[in-house]
Amino acid sequence: MSSTGVRSQESGVRGQGPGTRGRGASAAAITEADPQVLSTEYSVLRIDGAKSAPSATSHSALRVPHSALLAARGLFKSYRKGRVEVPVLKGVDFSVRPGEFVAIVGQSGSGKSTLLHLLGTLDAPDTGEIHFEGNRIDNLPARGRDVLRNKYFGMIFQFYHLLPELTMLENVLAPIMIRFGVWNYFWHRREHVHRAKELLDMVGLSHRLAHKPRELSGGEMQRTAIARALITQPKLLLADEPTGNLDQQTGSEILAILKKLHREQGLTILMVTHDQAIARQADRTVRLVEGKVAA
Amino acid sequence: MYKLLLSWRYLRTRYIALASIISVTLGVGTLIVVNSVMAGFSHEMHIRLHGILSDIIFEGHSQDGMGNVEALIAEIRKVVGDELAGVTAAVHVPAMININYRGQMLPRQVNLIGVDEATYAEVSDFRQYLLHPENRQKIKFWLRESGYGDDDHAIPPSGWIYRRLKAGYEREQELQRRMLNNAGFGDRESGVGGTEGEDREGGAPVEPMPSENPHPSPLPEGEGTTVATVPVDPLSQLKPHSPDDVFNPEKDQYTGIILGIAMASVRQRDARGKVRDVYLCRPGDDVQVAFASVGTPLPKILSENFTVVDFYESKMSEYDSGFAFVPLKAMQISRGMGDAVTTIQLKLKPGADLNAIRDKLQARFPAEEFPFRIQTWRDMQGPLLAAVQMETTLLNILLFMIIAVAGFGILATFFMIVVEKTKDIGILKALGAPSRGVMSIFLSYGFSLGLVGSGVGMIGGLLFVTFINHIAKGVEWITGQEVFDPTVYYFSKIPTIVEPLTVASVVAGSVLIAVLASVLPALRAARLHPVEALRYE
Repeated sequence: MSSTGVRSQESGVRGQGPGTRGRGASAAAITEADPQVLSTEYSVLRIDGAKSAPSATSHSALRVPHSALLAARGLFKSYRKGRVEVPVLKGVDFSVRPGEFVAIVGQSGSGKSTLLHLLGTLDAPDTGEIHFEGNRIDNLPARGRDVLRNKYFGMIFQFYHLLPELTMLENVLAPIMIRFGVWNYFWHRREHVHRAKELLDMVGLSHRLAHKPRELSGGEMQRTAIARALITQPKLLLADEPTGNLDQQTGSEILAILKKLHREQGLTILMVTHDQAIARQADRTVRLVEGKVAA
Repeated sequence: MYKLLLSWRYLRTRYIALASIISVTLGVGTLIVVNSVMAGFSHEMHIRLHGILSDIIFEGHSQDGMGNVEALIAEIRKVVGDELAGVTAAVHVPAMININYRGQMLPRQVNLIGVDEATYAEVSDFRQYLLHPENRQKIKFWLRESGYGDDDHAIPPSGWIYRRLKAGYEREQELQRRMLNNAGFGDRESGVGGTEGEDREGGAPVEPMPSENPHPSPLPEGEGTTVATVPVDPLSQLKPHSPDDVFNPEKDQYTGIILGIAMASVRQRDARGKVRDVYLCRPGDDVQVAFASVGTPLPKILSENFTVVDFYESKMSEYDSGFAFVPLKAMQISRGMGDAVTTIQLKLKPGADLNAIRDKLQARFPAEEFPFRIQTWRDMQGPLLAAVQMETTLLNILLFMIIAVAGFGILATFFMIVVEKTKDIGILKALGAPSRGVMSIFLSYGFSLGLVGSGVGMIGGLLFVTFINHIAKGVEWITGQEVFDPTVYYFSKIPTIVEPLTVASVVAGSVLIAVLASVLPALRAARLHPVEALRYE
């Protein structure tokens, strides 16, 4: 997976021209997961999306290790509470290589969730840059960030964040439904459902497809959320305290699933946690103290 | 895809939103019912107004009328040309009718209209409103033997049958009274049933009569002269058939008169609350009519007896209580107006442009030179038609306001739903749903709510219109209160017309209101920041 990432990054930088973009290509991408196609799509996204998309040769990008899947440089972020400006991140430099399982640890309020939101483009940094496969993503327009989140990032949360109106199967399919229009979705519906069932089977939930989230336990909901995050075959899985709301037994089951994904499929995982014990399961641990990466 | 799925799920699981569109449903239903009923009413009214008035009316300013009618009509034919379907001349005069009801004289103020039996039917639907079936075929001012009334009207026995019985009864009464008094009336009796009276009538200047129907002149000579010379209170003439009259009420009739049914009857409820028509007089009775002669040199009040030969019911209370029809010739002779008429009515071929022809006629007969007004029936009933139109418009505005209020209900409910769904919106955005997609979830939710609401309202409204008369009966039965009071309206059924265009625009308007009401909440949902939305508890 690591070598694939590099290759696709290069092709993305060189740019294959906007002509190759198309619905057909994206439909194929989801089933066959051809990294070449995905990368092409992404480069197109960047070219027509970002107003001031800096090339790979911009000064800050030069410092980005060439092998990084995701890299953050000098991230600052502060929140306003009334008149008082509360700084949360005070210059975070940080990168994830393809195929890595990285844990970000820190105490409550250290800004680790904020960092994850910034990396996942849910929020924008005040200053600083975020690069994904060598391309700057923090200044993409909203539509571009939406597509990025939908296709390349998978996210799981402490509180699962499943849609209560949908069944488990529909929840898993939600990113696919978001990506495709009605006709396109129904045209490939069988493949999508098949894949969703496979994923649910993998997380051990194949028997509860038609249940609504409120009928499930916390562990089951988190497994569903993992399946949902994986349905688009993302390049990066962002996990925000995935075990934070679960008992130890269930939490370690969830963690086992993540480790298995990492080991068997080479999935790049970035996990935020306050629990040192859980963080130790990762390849590498990044400590966040008072808005900065501790050495 | 997710938009449809989610708005469908929201529709299925948020019953409070369904409750908020009940007012849309009610508004749409009411609008459809109101519009249908109003359209039905105004259609009926148009037919009836038009039916009596014909298309274009020449109205003389003077009661003396316009002379030289033949030449005038010939000129009108020339001006109007091919589009003319019929012309008739008539005399309109204000008059007072006295109806003798159980010994009391009931005065009625009317517009007495002398019509030409031959041509009047060509210009108006008048004869269709007559109660005797044969008169509907052809207007005649002769009393029929019997057979008055139809399904809507249970008229008590009328016609010659009734007239003979009544006359016989009155003669008996008279004889009895005379025997009791045994004096005073003796010499006056001799004339009853006398033949010389009939001879005298035969010479009366009225159109020829069927011989077996010995025919009444407008007035026996004796009475006519009395009136002419002594301009006294007409009530002094009220003895219906004075004994010295040679006129035999068992065989003879006076000049025929056709009364509006509202003039001759009173619609009221009996003790059990049933609507009943009480007839003050019926075909076969005589009424006494007072009207003015021509104005030169001096108008005089003429008082004549007429025999009611039929009623008409146009179901326009204005007409039914205000118009009485008599033969044109009789009017002209009684009033001494020669062949002058006060009104000329034109009927045009279907599809003719009323206003254009009116303008042509007005150009040919300018008001400065000719003593009459030329109007279309719409001009004459303009205020009434405008009033109905305005009523419809007002009701539409009011009811659309109700739907607009419902729109605000939807707005509030939707805001609540958006707030409730804040987290879901955050999730969708985290999964990559664009703001526009989130917005369209709520817009299509509003659209489908509007569609459901107004669809149900439309079906309900149309069903209501279809079964409106049954429903009225049902409500009557339950509450004991008459919904559609026949003492107020002369329609026996509620008339309705469903106009598909109206229904479509009502539905479209309400759906639009529902969508508009969901725009603000949808915008709010679209603008939610994903991180804040995810944190929302």
